[in-house]
Amino acid sequence: MPLTDMPDFAAAILEEFAARGTTRVDTPVIQPAAPFLDMAGEDLRRRIFLTENERGASLCLRPEFTIPVCLRHIETATGTPKRYAYLGQVFRQRREGESEFYQAGIEDLGDRNAASADARVVVDALSCLTKILPGRGLAVTIGDQAVFEAVVAALGLPAGWQKRLVRAFGQTDLLEAMIARLARPQPVTGLSPAVEALLEAGDEAALVAHVEAEMERTGYLTNASRSPAEIVRRLKEKRLLAGASLDTAKLDALKEFLSINVSLRYAPGVLADFARSAGLPLEQAIAGFDARVAAFANAGASLADITWRAAFGRPLDYYTGLVFEITARGDHDVLAGGGRYDRMLTLLGAKDHIPAVGFALWLDRIEKARETSR
Amino acid sequence: MTITIGLPSKGRMKDDASAIFARAGMLISAIGNERSYRGRIEGVDDVEIAFLSASEISREIGNGTVDFGVTGEDLIREELSDADRRMEISARLGFGHADVVVAVPDIWLDVESMADLGDVAADFRARHGRRLAIATKYWRLTQQHFSAQHGIQLYRIVESLGATEGAPAAGQADIIVDITSTGSTLVANHLKVLSDGVILRSEACLVRAKKPEHEGNATVARIVEAVRGVL
Repeated sequence: MPLTDMPDFAAAILEEFAARGTTRVDTPVIQPAAPFLDMAGEDLRRRIFLTENERGASLCLRPEFTIPVCLRHIETATGTPKRYAYLGQVFRQRREGESEFYQAGIEDLGDRNAASADARVVVDALSCLTKILPGRGLAVTIGDQAVFEAVVAALGLPAGWQKRLVRAFGQTDLLEAMIARLARPQPVTGLSPAVEALLEAGDEAALVAHVEAEMERTGYLTNASRSPAEIVRRLKEKRLLAGASLDTAKLDALKEFLSINVSLRYAPGVLADFARSAGLPLEQAIAGFDARVAAFANAGASLADITWRAAFGRPLDYYTGLVFEITARGDHDVLAGGGRYDRMLTLLGAKDHIPAVGFALWLDRIEKARETSR
Repeated sequence: MTITIGLPSKGRMKDDASAIFARAGMLISAIGNERSYRGRIEGVDDVEIAFLSASEISREIGNGTVDFGVTGEDLIREELSDADRRMEISARLGFGHADVVVAVPDIWLDVESMADLGDVAADFRARHGRRLAIATKYWRLTQQHFSAQHGIQLYRIVESLGATEGAPAAGQADIIVDITSTGSTLVANHLKVLSDGVILRSEACLVRAKKPEHEGNATVARIVEAVRGVL
């Protein structure tokens, strides 16, 4: 059955949002499509409802709220910190479920204390769910990109490799393929003898001149997006990457880290043990992680209900730290999903760096869970 | 039940397809005059021929309005979501060869593979204030190759319906996804194919729309067998 009306528990959610010190905002259903495609990538195109206006501008039906809420925040320029709440229809083609459904959520912008803001939104989400699913046990899974980044940095790989691994974080197959590749170095091939000689000689200026002359000759220079200097810089970096590899001990450490899946009660101990046994300097990341665990406890979350899965991440470049999902205990349907997206507002055009964390509730799945609870 | 076969309505594809059907003992003739878009197989009553454009054939296969079609695998996989659930390639016909490839400017000395391109795409916005732009008419194939297979999410597709190879030099896009048969157009436009940049090795195929009523149908089986027999 399509949801033709708001779910009957919508009022309860809005009440909870208001009680938790948020400002309700609404955004137009019809949105410019570019920000969504820029942020989430072309893969989203298949799943959103696109149309064009008379002038040929690409528009879409709102596929989610975070981007419109952030854009609105930037436009209205009302300063931070701000806690926004929303509840409304979103439109997305999904494998399962209707393609128009309700989402509600909170976007918490501008709080400089990441640990307490992280804990606050998870508790926001938990208390909404507890209110509308009374008596149901809830399970929270968290991931932390910052810890993964710290582990990768501590392994001593070149910056380019670190970026590759971080980019693959959360995509198991891709990450495994990269780890396999890291077991053995691969030389750079396919360069002309002239370029090889210039690289060997380390003559960067001559190499840039060579690339520029070639661009000029082929008529490519006028509109070239990547400049000769950029190409040469990356060519040198790539040589460095190609030679890089990890010894067995470090590879095993990386794999061991990614296999960590532990209750948050024991997570600080497990992480500290891992750092010690692998011999990796992770003090700063551990301090950040522990501060968040403490903040969870302070905010009244039950640590026994939260699991840290080290390999859990989202492959989008605006996520930076915490990610989380909440399910009903013993069920797979994700009822709430969220995370920290500190890079998004700058990418959307904000002049200042605005830390941000938030979550969305999937009201259709919650409705299903309410029915099975009855 | 009448079985409908969609065949290309003009050009090399039409001639080559007719030749294969003729070799397989199915002589195709147009109904009425030579330019008619309906046809039949001589001596066979329960088969109809519909002459269509190649991209229409893919769509009609997807809708199930034709039972068989002769068209390029690239068009089938581009036009249909979940293609393997909706159609079956009964035979590869050995003509109309073309590869769908990812090609970048020759002078990108640092880019030889999709992994390299992933690095470039990741930094692109920070350096150039926009995402890496790909000119193509193959939206679906590009997304599958970049997003699903190589985990590259951050790029934008710029629709290009012709002269795609010229897009990088003209500044409309940074790289392209396009078909090439000999590679000479790419070379002429100073583009190179990435080592793992071949998305699909396409050729003309006899394609069957998956329909339950084909199960145990003698005409369907006979057409497939006859075409396979002459390849």
